[in-house]
Amino acid sequence: MAASGSAHILKLNPVLDLNEAVGLHGQLLAMRGRDLVIDASDVQRCGTQCVQVLMSAARTWEEDQKSYRMTGVSDAFGKTMQLIGIDIDQFLVKEN
Amino acid sequence: MDMNEIKEIFFQECEEQLAELESGLLKLNDGDRDPETVNAVFRAVHSIKGGAGAFGLDDLVAFAHVFETTLDCVRSNKLEPTPDVLKVMLKSADVLADLTNAARDGGSVDESRSRALVKELEALANGQPLSQAAAAPEAPAAPAPAPVAAAAPAPTDSSGFQPIPFSFDDFPAVEEEAKDLPAYEVLFKPRSDLYAKGNDAALLLRDLSRVGEMTIFCNMDSLPTLDKLDPEAAYFHWVISIATDKGEDAIRTVFEFAEWDCDLQVKPIAEAIVSEDQPMVPVPFDLSILDEEPAPAEVKAEAPAPSPAAETVAAAETATAVMNAVNNAVAAKAEKKEAPAASAAAANAAAAAAANNAAGMAQTIRVDRLINLVGELVINQAMLSQSVIENDNNGASSINMGLEELQQLTREIQDSVMAIRAQPVKPVFQRMSRIVREIADMTGKSIRLITEGENTEVDKTVIDKLAEPLTHMIRNAVDHGVETPEKRIALGKNPEGTVRLTAKHRSGRILIELADDGAGINRERVRQKAIDKDLINPDANLSDEEIDNLIFLPGFSTAEKLSDISGRGVGMDVVKRSIQALGGRINISSKPGHGSVFTMSLPLTLAVLDGMVVTVAGQTLVVPLTAIVETLQPEPAAIHSFGANQRLISIRNSFCPLVDVGRILNFRSTQANPVDGVALLVESEGGGQRALMVDAIQGQRQVVIKSLEANYTHVPGIAAATILGDGRVALILDVDAVVAASRGQSLKPEMAYASAG
Repeated sequence: MAASGSAHILKLNPVLDLNEAVGLHGQLLAMRGRDLVIDASDVQRCGTQCVQVLMSAARTWEEDQKSYRMTGVSDAFGKTMQLIGIDIDQFLVKEN
Repeated sequence: MDMNEIKEIFFQECEEQLAELESGLLKLNDGDRDPETVNAVFRAVHSIKGGAGAFGLDDLVAFAHVFETTLDCVRSNKLEPTPDVLKVMLKSADVLADLTNAARDGGSVDESRSRALVKELEALANGQPLSQAAAAPEAPAAPAPAPVAAAAPAPTDSSGFQPIPFSFDDFPAVEEEAKDLPAYEVLFKPRSDLYAKGNDAALLLRDLSRVGEMTIFCNMDSLPTLDKLDPEAAYFHWVISIATDKGEDAIRTVFEFAEWDCDLQVKPIAEAIVSEDQPMVPVPFDLSILDEEPAPAEVKAEAPAPSPAAETVAAAETATAVMNAVNNAVAAKAEKKEAPAASAAAANAAAAAAANNAAGMAQTIRVDRLINLVGELVINQAMLSQSVIENDNNGASSINMGLEELQQLTREIQDSVMAIRAQPVKPVFQRMSRIVREIADMTGKSIRLITEGENTEVDKTVIDKLAEPLTHMIRNAVDHGVETPEKRIALGKNPEGTVRLTAKHRSGRILIELADDGAGINRERVRQKAIDKDLINPDANLSDEEIDNLIFLPGFSTAEKLSDISGRGVGMDVVKRSIQALGGRINISSKPGHGSVFTMSLPLTLAVLDGMVVTVAGQTLVVPLTAIVETLQPEPAAIHSFGANQRLISIRNSFCPLVDVGRILNFRSTQANPVDGVALLVESEGGGQRALMVDAIQGQRQVVIKSLEANYTHVPGIAAATILGDGRVALILDVDAVVAASRGQSLKPEMAYASAG
């Protein structure tokens, strides 16, 4: 985790269902402008809307030219992303 | 609406489709060449396959697929539906039904059988003659990829197959043929409403991924940056291409409950569709066994589809691809065929079956309650009119007229409520046609089942209990009744035997007839057998009809060797008993050399009963009218003593044992004088007649049956109870039990029976 340095870490809740989208949106908005690492290691369930929020954040972070990465992708999270058709490899923290 | 309910609906539809399938095939068998018939048959299999695919019932899909392919050949006139072909098809329909049942209720199917049929079907589709296909599979048992210890091979059946242990699981499943499967493009654009209603696109996609091999592209063009994002709105939409053999319907089914909240387009991708004129789509199973066969190259030519796993990695390159990366989901592959899927499917099936039973049960309970209430209403109405008549001395008052109308209304309500449970006998009859086929096959006979009056309706409770005795009788008719083709030819008969099953309404009862054109009852042998088994006295002089009816005696079986089919240790006495338990009667009439006719007469419902109300030792009893042959006033000269306490009554030059009902039911301790009472001549078990002695007849009446067990406890000799118009409880006599009890008292019941003749 050395590479993330000053980056904020956002640990995702285990359940990211439809009800979580608003909360997640708020959390992410509050962190805007800083490098961010999303820790998805605890995620057991993830709905499409939360993925939308995460992807929107990715787009926002890119516009802001800040780093937006993911780490500790759980099985459930990875599978959902694959299912929805989103490639998360690009967000993964490179081992360096 | 949860998944199990949907599944249940699917299985119900399956049943309809299977019935459609079978009747269509039978029509074809009768020479019907109407393209619409062929289409109907094809559609039936196709729908089952489609639905089964949606629920991941792989065995069912696999079999239906082969079946469908062959049917397609018939549809496109490449395969002539000869009797031989149709024989295979009918058997396949049976296997399809088995697989459906196995999917619904768990349990297993005879895999060697379905495997053999798959082979035959393929051979047909490939234009190979049947015999060749039959010879082919003998050799290559060894190279099966995963020699799972399946059930031991059954004995070779008549078609000459050597069954090979076989399991569908042994074969790589659908993805191997993904390349050749029809592909569909699905555009799926959820609206925000979808999420607002608690649905999740991810779940739909997951379900979709189970339909087939799926490639997904998530379009995020409309996704705004975080500050403009409404976290509860819908931004993603998807372009999915999916290869599946389950058809467009299976795909649409996934979205069935979301279709109002999304834009959905499903269209076939033209290039990927397997052209219609390629008759044989490679089937997932069986490949290895075909390896040693010189048979069609295309069947085994397919290489596995390229692994989609490689494609996943490819997308990882461009950073900008965040917005519109084209990703190939490995998920589909990873998740779809995981082992848990299979066990989950099984669990689902079990749950569905349970749910089905529960739902059906709840429905039955409701109807039963309604019928019960209507019964109460009838009783109440009878009580009311009785008390009005008793208290009204002024003659025709308006109350009387009102009561009469009320009586008609209650009668109508009763009839309508009974009609709710009335169902045509068709499903039971259809099952019989399968049994005939199977047994004819096993015994090497050629038999045609003709059914008539399938739409005759009867109470569901009767139908449910009818199947078993009917099955038994059909088995008997085919196994023992109809002769072998050789023998028939020698006798100058049509080598194809005929079994005719008829249902009709006759004076408030349903009459079911089972006629075969076989050898008929061998009276000499039946008689000898009965004597050997000590069932009758060797000197007994029995009429032809009585000899025929001996087969209903307990412990009687005429077949010289017990066969697999009908010699299961239960004889016709069991049949008779179950028919009688339904309040019915069974009779046989037989013409040597021309066959036998079994006639069953059953009540239309088990909720009401026409009875004769009688008095015995001050008690009111109801004797089912169906049991009574005639009533008579005994003359003193007609009564004869027999042994210590048996008496006989002579009726038209024959003797009939007198049964003192009051004595047997312990209503009185001494024997009544028969001359003071009335004798009811009843048909008893074993075909003989008995005279039941009662004190007086009050009249005939329709009574509502009230279970004694449910309200009190079982009473020997009493079948049920009812409530009469005056509010009193009357017991309904169990005629057979009373007769049996009277026999039990006699030292040698067989003697008594023989003397009855």
